[in-house]
Amino acid sequence: MAEVTEFNERLVCAILAEQVVALRDRMDAGATFDLLWRTTALLSWLSGLLSDLSRHTPTLNPILERERAEALTEISEIRHKLDELAFSQAQKQDFARQIADCVVTALERMAVAEMPAGTSFSSQDLAQLYISDDQRNLHNEIVTRLNG
Amino acid sequence: MPVILVLDDSATMVMSLSHILKGAGYDVETGMNGREGINKLNEGIKPSVILTDLNMPELDGIGFIKEARKISGTRFTPIIVLTTESGGRKRDEARAAGASGWLTKPAEPSQLLSVVKQLCPTK
Repeated sequence: MAEVTEFNERLVCAILAEQVVALRDRMDAGATFDLLWRTTALLSWLSGLLSDLSRHTPTLNPILERERAEALTEISEIRHKLDELAFSQAQKQDFARQIADCVVTALERMAVAEMPAGTSFSSQDLAQLYISDDQRNLHNEIVTRLNG
Repeated sequence: MPVILVLDDSATMVMSLSHILKGAGYDVETGMNGREGINKLNEGIKPSVILTDLNMPELDGIGFIKEARKISGTRFTPIIVLTTESGGRKRDEARAAGASGWLTKPAEPSQLLSVVKQLCPTK
């Protein structure tokens, strides 16, 4: 009976590992980032175009000139914000992907059929897989809570 | 134009870092792990600064730093570790391997550029 339970647990771990892999692969936001880069590239191009237009039009209407200057300021601000947003999102995505990698590795190890009966994957083994202090702090909180 | 070598196993991070650095006037070479970084150095690329992640497949950041320090052209090149790891032990390990500095993710583009510009100003 114990052996059947152990096999079932390993099977569940193997399935969960595959499901987290599928989830991790869906985190890919390549298309979003591509659009972000293309938008910032377009804004750079527009900014250059507005400057060139002004240079080649010495008698530009003062109202248009003011609007051109305002547009350039706005473009510069939006580009700056887009850069910040893309960088922040890239880091968040990377962090989520690494946490998913950690969960997959742990589940795969728990699903290993060769693991001798009676041995288990301990919380210390799990802690070896962490890649950030956030994970370690969460781990310690849970250990304390469950032991308390 | 000064060259920055960026190593990260996340394609999105590599794209993002390249975009920011190119926008600030740097040329960027990239690799998806430490092994690719070492290959680039052996091919003769001479970066002014190297930005590397720690957790990468094949050859991790610490392994990369150790190997890079054995290559004469990069013995004294500034190597900045950009990672989600903020732990003291990892930091000590990276420093012992030869890392020059450390930036913990999430970082702001301005923080990154400030560090890179201090080490390698653009004209």
